[in-house]
Amino acid sequence: MKALKKGESWKGVFAGFAILTFLFGLLLAEAEGGERPFKIGFTVPLTGAFGKDGALVKDAYIFWKEAVNAQGGIEVKKKRHPVDLIFYDDKSEPTSSAKLVEKLITEDKVDLILGGFGSSQVIAASAVSEKYRYPMTCGAASTLRLFDRGFKYYFSLLGKAPEEVRGCVEILPTLSPRPETVAIIGANIPFCADAADGFKAYAEKLGMKVVHFELFPLALADYNTLLMKVKEKNPDVLLVGSHSLVAMRVMKGLKEVDFTPKGVFFSYGPTVPDFVDSLGKDAEYVFAASEWTPNLPYRDRVFGTARDFHNQYVKRFGRAPDFVEAASVAGALVQQQAVQELGLTPPLKDRDREKIMQFLYSKRFDNFYGPIRFAADGANEIHPPVVVQVQGGKLVHVFPPDTAEGKPIYPMKPWKKR
Amino acid sequence: MILFCQSLVNGLLLGGIYAACSAGFALAFGVMGVVNLSHGDFVMLGAFITYWLFVLAGMDPFLTLPFTLLFLFIIGFFMQKLAINRLVGSPPIMSYLLTFGLHLVIANLALRTWTADFRTVQTSYSGLTIIFAGLVLPYSRLATFALAMIVIGGLYLLLYRTETGRAIRATAQDREMAQLMGIKIFKIYTLTFALAAAITGLAGSLISSTFVIHPQMGLPFTITAFCVVVLGGMGYVPGTLWGGIILGVVESLATTYLTAGISLSLTFFLLLLMLIFRPGGILGKGIVE
Repeated sequence: MKALKKGESWKGVFAGFAILTFLFGLLLAEAEGGERPFKIGFTVPLTGAFGKDGALVKDAYIFWKEAVNAQGGIEVKKKRHPVDLIFYDDKSEPTSSAKLVEKLITEDKVDLILGGFGSSQVIAASAVSEKYRYPMTCGAASTLRLFDRGFKYYFSLLGKAPEEVRGCVEILPTLSPRPETVAIIGANIPFCADAADGFKAYAEKLGMKVVHFELFPLALADYNTLLMKVKEKNPDVLLVGSHSLVAMRVMKGLKEVDFTPKGVFFSYGPTVPDFVDSLGKDAEYVFAASEWTPNLPYRDRVFGTARDFHNQYVKRFGRAPDFVEAASVAGALVQQQAVQELGLTPPLKDRDREKIMQFLYSKRFDNFYGPIRFAADGANEIHPPVVVQVQGGKLVHVFPPDTAEGKPIYPMKPWKKR
Repeated sequence: MILFCQSLVNGLLLGGIYAACSAGFALAFGVMGVVNLSHGDFVMLGAFITYWLFVLAGMDPFLTLPFTLLFLFIIGFFMQKLAINRLVGSPPIMSYLLTFGLHLVIANLALRTWTADFRTVQTSYSGLTIIFAGLVLPYSRLATFALAMIVIGGLYLLLYRTETGRAIRATAQDREMAQLMGIKIFKIYTLTFALAAAITGLAGSLISSTFVIHPQMGLPFTITAFCVVVLGGMGYVPGTLWGGIILGVVESLATTYLTAGISLSLTFFLLLLMLIFRPGGILGKGIVE
């Protein structure tokens, strides 16, 4: 064997030294970093049709992480484990959402999974988390299709889409003059179409006449003709199965065809801050379904009351949280509560996650978001839907009356008289 | 009857918007044979320029038009000079690839800078309407329609009544012959593309108060422009007015008398019929190869 030259042997020593230093550094880092963190993953749309809405959910999880890490992490058996979030942009595409959840589980080896935004994306993503038996708690999807698949690991903080709009219909008989006729339109995508169906079912149950019902493709860019057709039927109120883009287009269209129903209700949209910011006074008097408002009398140990949560959120992001953000945080909170009460530490094993799943079904949870109990199909079955209305540029909780902070303004002022 | 008239008027006004947003596409395609898949992003950029001038400087959307025109002209100029000129004479697939890439770059840069927020230019007269003979006419759409006429009219005059226009048309008809006649074709191409970008941006500015603005709004306008140009006759600029109006009216009537869901499929069905039976467009003046 050839003897090493002087230079080469030095190289070897250096390399060995470097490796040792590196390993030692790793050890130090481990010791200084405290307990092993919980790696938690999620995918949300940050671009595409739901980019704006998805960013809200991302903010919500970041807010939760910061709150938990400010307390030193999730406390399990007297030790605090910080939270590490790993997330990806699913571009509003269901297939990409599913792929990315698989990546989170198999490559990033996350301990827990949180839900994303939008029914179509979450349907795809939750099928993957179900396959790998990861509980997924989601606060921003509610189409019926999520709940009829016999899944065991999918948990929704929201009610089912048709039930979410129940408040928006139940408020109608309390208004004066009592509306008799309704028109219902909705975008033909899972959540919006379900909401439209929900509007219809509840309206018929209350004996109201549905004078128009129509679903339209999301790609429809111009709503004027559609709304004019509705105007022609002259309904007392207009109920819209929507998300934020649809809601904004409907409001712009209503003004352009000069149609002011006595009331306009959206399944989703007006609670997203952009709605009021962009439309300004044209957003006034609009009603929207919601599942959470800061004046509700709920509380927990991490955030305090619903109002505290709201205030901290405003301080962090300079804007009020939407109800899907509250629901998303609540989802993270119940998973946090599960690992704490079950005494599970990272890295979590498959059987740990099975225990979490069983735990989530086992009891009622109460936090700043309100009461949570998961039915066998994973839907939150005891959360009351509320109705908010834009009044003076603010969202005011107007229904149900026992928790409302203001009275609904009805009928809506005609465009020409504003 | 009033419902029919109103649908017709809505369709006409929508058609004006479609035409305004598509004229640039027809121009670039007609002269250079470039199918510009980043076309819709010029609409988006125009809308954003107006939005920011409106929000930051408090300018009226109509006063922002010269800025949009200038800015998009410069963008178009450099895009042509740096990228698209290299494609002249290469197969169409190359222009699809390049311009689709440009679309991705522009749309994602916009997303990065401006986030995915949905915005709208909300002026004191946004959404205001006049009632004429029982028909509701929104001001901003009327203005867009009028401007679409002016732009297409102006473009027509430029192409058919000026020396530069003759050079542009000559280049469109026969590149090599035009070159032999002393026309600097790369100059013509650059001018054409910059002009196309500028008038498209103008349309974007105009629709900023009627449409919801966001970085990803561009692509649907590219698709619309494609339909409009096929209907009006590929490469025949005045045809875009016809194409736009047909598309707008068909969509509007289908929404009224059938459902909104069917109106979009009908559009594509129409496109298909056109390509099979009248590939030269409704007036038959388009380029057929």
